[in-house]
Amino acid sequence: MLDTESIRKDFPFLRQGCIYLDSTATSLTPEPVLNKMLEYYREYRANIERGIYKAAQIATDAFEGARAEIARLINAKPEEIILVRNTSEGINLVASGQGLKKGDRVVTTILEHHSNFIVWLRARKRVGAEVKVVMSDGEGFLDLSDFERAINGRTRLVAVTHTSNVLGVRPPVKEIVKMAHDKGALVLVDGAQSVPHTKVDVKALGCDFLAFSGHKMCGPTGAGALYIREDLQEKIEPLCIGGGTIEDVGIDHYRLRQGPSRYEAGTPAIAEVIGMGAAASYLMEIGMPNIAAHDASLTKKVLEGLQEVPSLTLYGPKDPRKRAGIFSFNLGRFHPHDLAVALDAAAGVMVRSGHHCALPLHKHILKLDSGTVRASVYLYNTEQDVEVLLSALSEISKTML
Amino acid sequence: MAKSLYENYKNFPKTDCGYCGNTSCITMLRRFCSGELPLSECIYFRAGLYNVNEFSCSPPVPRGTQKPSISYIRPCPTDADRISVEVSLLPPEGSKYGYFDMITLDNIFNHAVPGLRISPSLGIARLESEWGDVMGFSEGRVLIRRASNESSAFWQLSRFVRSLWAAVS
Repeated sequence: MLDTESIRKDFPFLRQGCIYLDSTATSLTPEPVLNKMLEYYREYRANIERGIYKAAQIATDAFEGARAEIARLINAKPEEIILVRNTSEGINLVASGQGLKKGDRVVTTILEHHSNFIVWLRARKRVGAEVKVVMSDGEGFLDLSDFERAINGRTRLVAVTHTSNVLGVRPPVKEIVKMAHDKGALVLVDGAQSVPHTKVDVKALGCDFLAFSGHKMCGPTGAGALYIREDLQEKIEPLCIGGGTIEDVGIDHYRLRQGPSRYEAGTPAIAEVIGMGAAASYLMEIGMPNIAAHDASLTKKVLEGLQEVPSLTLYGPKDPRKRAGIFSFNLGRFHPHDLAVALDAAAGVMVRSGHHCALPLHKHILKLDSGTVRASVYLYNTEQDVEVLLSALSEISKTML
Repeated sequence: MAKSLYENYKNFPKTDCGYCGNTSCITMLRRFCSGELPLSECIYFRAGLYNVNEFSCSPPVPRGTQKPSISYIRPCPTDADRISVEVSLLPPEGSKYGYFDMITLDNIFNHAVPGLRISPSLGIARLESEWGDVMGFSEGRVLIRRASNESSAFWQLSRFVRSLWAAVS
């Protein structure tokens, strides 16, 4: 089990006494990660892969070391990790680099974040690709037989989330990968909400692409990663090309390098990538299974508590074993934004409100125009945080509806 | 660890007896949190019915600017064709513990105004209307959501604040 009390001491943001329940939007950053980034700026501030002086070499080693740590987090090879800004950029890279053409089919789901949804609608608009959206039931569960019908011989890609950022449901990605591969389609997994919270093993999962963000896994903003299976890298065009991506350039030709650097044009976010690598090490040292167990224990408590708050409507599965620590709900006729403001003002509880970048899910499955309030837990949250949330919600329900 | 005002208030006597010289328990608690008064001013604590050690409070964290101000949030995060307005009112001179006394407000209105709800324990008043929703917080902040334009926001603000001014701390 986690020593939450000692973990909390690593997070300076928590020292002001607030209750942070919005890690699904972005996580807090611990001292070891902050220090690692400052160390770069203070002690070896040089560009990577270019200079031959010592500081430049240290910077390059730190950058590549971070790539190796990020790879280790998901059981990939360092050469399979493309360093990008965030999950959205990773997904855009695949969307634009795959060379989709008229008549190709992309299968996605109604659970997706806009980042894994509108890129496919744009592909439909730009090249005439066909987009098939697999619907869920009211709780967010997907039916594998719907994928069986949706994936056909023309399907080039199945793009699916590993964990819904609204309902917390975890689609059966392993089974979807097998089904897609059997029909010759590749699979892109949006790991933004799964990689920070549980052990993700790309080899066991079998996916072809996995995108995730550093800022949701205790790292800084501005650094993310895209796993591209090694043998596919030749087939995926880079999103940007330029400095650092080429092997040779002549007056009328250029040849791109092999490996991840072909995708990483220009000077990258060096400090942020180093920070993301430190965050991966930080999480692995604590142990992903321990983090998952801590999330699960808080999930059980939140689920039980929320269902006892009068007039509260909870969305998604009620069985804690079938969901991650992400809880979307509404309270009576309270507008989600007003409820989030009330929780902040009354009890210092920070939660997200609105559509959570998942409008299709809110419109077609939840049938909600104004969105929901979303609370989410992570390794630094405690049972006391949950109790304050629940008692503040009960008090609002009792006194303000 | 210091607890929020609301967490402390949950376990407070909440009798509003006035023996401590304050208009309400929440005012007493605010003055305790700002370091103005010890809990021993309260007869229930003096009688040993409540344990001083169970209450710890940091001064309320200033939210946004403390100077009187008005800021427009365009578009309103959910309704693209509407606006939100946040107003910070000037706290009374020398006051360290808030602006509106929600206990007194609750006693005055007591569900008498349609759509107005006051939570003394949370320090929040909320007016729901067809023109948008308005929320007032005990520290003097007022939030107007989903107003159709600036003049509508001002109209709602003046209507709401006129009510809340009935009980300035």
